[in-house]
Amino acid sequence: MDTGGVLELFSEVEKLRVQLMNNVEVMPDCQRVEGEVSHKEILTCIENIILGIVTSLSKDEAPILALPNRSSWANISFDSAIGLQMVSGSSITTIRSDCPSSVTKFAQIVKILSVIYRLVQSNSYATKRDIYYSNTQLFGSQSAVDSIVDDISCMLKVPRRSLHVLATSKGLISGDLCYMEEDGTRIDCYSSSTGKGVPDVNSRLMVRKLWDTLHIPVFALVDADPHGIEIMCIYKYGSVAMSFEAHSLTVPSVMWLGLLPSDLQRLRVPEDALIPLTKRDESKLSSLLKRPYLTSQPDWQREMELMQQTKVKAEIQSLAAIAPDFLTNTYLPNKLRYGGWV
Amino acid sequence: MCKYTKMFRELRQVLRAVMLSRKRRQRYGLKTVGGLLVFLWTETGTSFKSLSCTVAAAGPWCTEIKKKALQAVLTDLKESLFLCPGPCPEPDPEELCAFTDLYGSLKLLVSFQMIDARGFSPELLAHLESFLHTFSLANAGIKTHLKFKFNQQTLQQEFRVKIKSKVAKVDQPSVILDVTCKTQPPECVKKGCWCQGGHPVRGDRLPLSIPAQVMDQGLYGELSVQPVTLLSPCVLQYPNLETQLTHIQLLVYSPSNVPVTGPSTFFQIIPAHLDCEELGCHGLHCSSFKDLVYSGGTVYTVEQENWEDPEQESRLPSIQQSVRLFLFLQHSDPFTSQLSDDMATEALIEHHLEDILSNNRQAVTAALHTEIKNVLKAQNRRKKDQEKLHSAVKVILSSSVSIVSCSSNLDFRNACLNSMKVCDTHELSASLCESLKRVTSWKFIPKGKCYSAQMKEYPESNEPTRSEI
Repeated sequence: MDTGGVLELFSEVEKLRVQLMNNVEVMPDCQRVEGEVSHKEILTCIENIILGIVTSLSKDEAPILALPNRSSWANISFDSAIGLQMVSGSSITTIRSDCPSSVTKFAQIVKILSVIYRLVQSNSYATKRDIYYSNTQLFGSQSAVDSIVDDISCMLKVPRRSLHVLATSKGLISGDLCYMEEDGTRIDCYSSSTGKGVPDVNSRLMVRKLWDTLHIPVFALVDADPHGIEIMCIYKYGSVAMSFEAHSLTVPSVMWLGLLPSDLQRLRVPEDALIPLTKRDESKLSSLLKRPYLTSQPDWQREMELMQQTKVKAEIQSLAAIAPDFLTNTYLPNKLRYGGWV
Repeated sequence: MCKYTKMFRELRQVLRAVMLSRKRRQRYGLKTVGGLLVFLWTETGTSFKSLSCTVAAAGPWCTEIKKKALQAVLTDLKESLFLCPGPCPEPDPEELCAFTDLYGSLKLLVSFQMIDARGFSPELLAHLESFLHTFSLANAGIKTHLKFKFNQQTLQQEFRVKIKSKVAKVDQPSVILDVTCKTQPPECVKKGCWCQGGHPVRGDRLPLSIPAQVMDQGLYGELSVQPVTLLSPCVLQYPNLETQLTHIQLLVYSPSNVPVTGPSTFFQIIPAHLDCEELGCHGLHCSSFKDLVYSGGTVYTVEQENWEDPEQESRLPSIQQSVRLFLFLQHSDPFTSQLSDDMATEALIEHHLEDILSNNRQAVTAALHTEIKNVLKAQNRRKKDQEKLHSAVKVILSSSVSIVSCSSNLDFRNACLNSMKVCDTHELSASLCESLKRVTSWKFIPKGKCYSAQMKEYPESNEPTRSEI
């Protein structure tokens, strides 16, 4: 394609970019990239927790830990510029050391705090998997470690990356893109990324970084089903579980490129490529429609209501039923050319 | 037959007559307050000294007694059973003054001669004490007194009940149990934080089939046994304490609530028929029955698993408990209407008890298994919780101390050491360990139904203080 053709292809995208730059408050990098919480701050936070435990024992009281409740919608507020974020003064869950039902979790938390303390102190890193394998009997499962690391991140009010605990890779980025890491390492990749389902924090951070640095529109191409829509909402508005880090993870400018429920009708996708919604799908769809951020997205609401009415869903692959290369040769170029996003 | 056995038989017959006569009169809402006196004394001035026994009763509990019917039965007893028929000496009224001062005028006074006083030994008194103690355990509303006068020496004992609890029985009058716990609380327990009583748990009533040969003897109607367990001491307010059941005391009571005495072969061999593995214990052994003839029923020693752990010394504390398992025999026959019929029925039940139990071996064994299992289930759950606490405590301590040890923040380290009043991290580790074990083991959650306040004697009342169903 010649330069004129490329410009024409992306003219609508360029208009969108200008509109977003005017409407969305873009903070300078030095404010957005938070920062590295200092090592000393992390160590002091952990020391304060241990001192709390020692002080309780000195008074012959059972130590308790207070964790902000990361699973309750009651602790969440919606800000259109940020997405879902945890409110201050949110409800907490107390973990007691004198109760058999919670003492194991108490021990797991203190153990991981001691691991993090050593990592930060020695400026070394470990993955969540490493932590699990350091004491599989104590932790029981990888998911227990993952959850506690996020709990500690929320409790200390620092991003997980500041705890020197890494996640194992999930997302994949590819395309005509290269960037320099802080330590000077140059990374060559491509310009589209996939989170492989529900995105992990690193995938979300990457997308966020692309927006912050390049200010290019971010389009979501997801399956036309409630799960796909939820994945897209996580990128755009965030999750309840990670709401305490919303300001560094969400990309409120994400646009829904496809696969739209209205596309299925418009393109007359063959019926045998369509799948009836299950009870679970319908329940999730109803739940999504009640989310606070949908009120500011009437186009998204309409698409989701259409899905409710037709009671069918479809994967991106269903476009292959029209033609094998329909997605890449027709669907995506036309969507970008004619602004077919909502 | 042993001379003491005969003496006890007479005493038990008198008590049975008294208890049955009031039970027949009123099925529910019996007044249970009052006094019972068993007075053993020697008469002087005769050619040989004989030991006499007087049973006296006073107070509201015996107002329901049908005196005429009771008198008729007692007359029969004197003629048929008592060792020394004929006119019996009466005690000096002065000896009964203290009793009547407490409970009012006597509603019942029965005397009979027991044995040649030269045959008396301290063993007799010990057995009598044990018997009356067992009687008072299941008739806690009646204040039982024992008085003994021999060769100008007088001994008196009151079987004082500090805490009572009413247990309802199906289709039968309730029973008032003595649930006082005599175990002293450990030193670390704060004042007012130890339950001084127990909480009886009623099991399922078990119908018993009457063997044919016993029916031929004249025992008809419906026979059943009602188990009630009482665990002591109560540690419900200390949910994290580990417990260890060491003894089970099995007491059998006739339908009149009079203890059934005598060794029971059936109950002695029952441990062999219990599935100890399923119960979660190593074994049950019956104590020597030398002392069981007149005393507290059948006692089993519970053998627990020997947990050999190199760190056993550092494990959290445990409390030893014992269980009192009451078996209340119950009988009903719509065709009996006289007190004498009830007396005869009860005599038959006691006489053929071994045959009746053997005839229902499987069911009785299963019922006992269930009662013991329920007690041990709670113990096993506590043990699992203890293990969880123990392993978590180790992790909490090692992780906390590791952070303090490798911290370069002097203020933080000093704050930790000063808080626990220690000099270095080694002492800190020991001090934190002791404190954490203490606060986790002795976690206290007050329970309304526990008897934790400073106890005083309960005032006389027709209704017991607590009811347990």
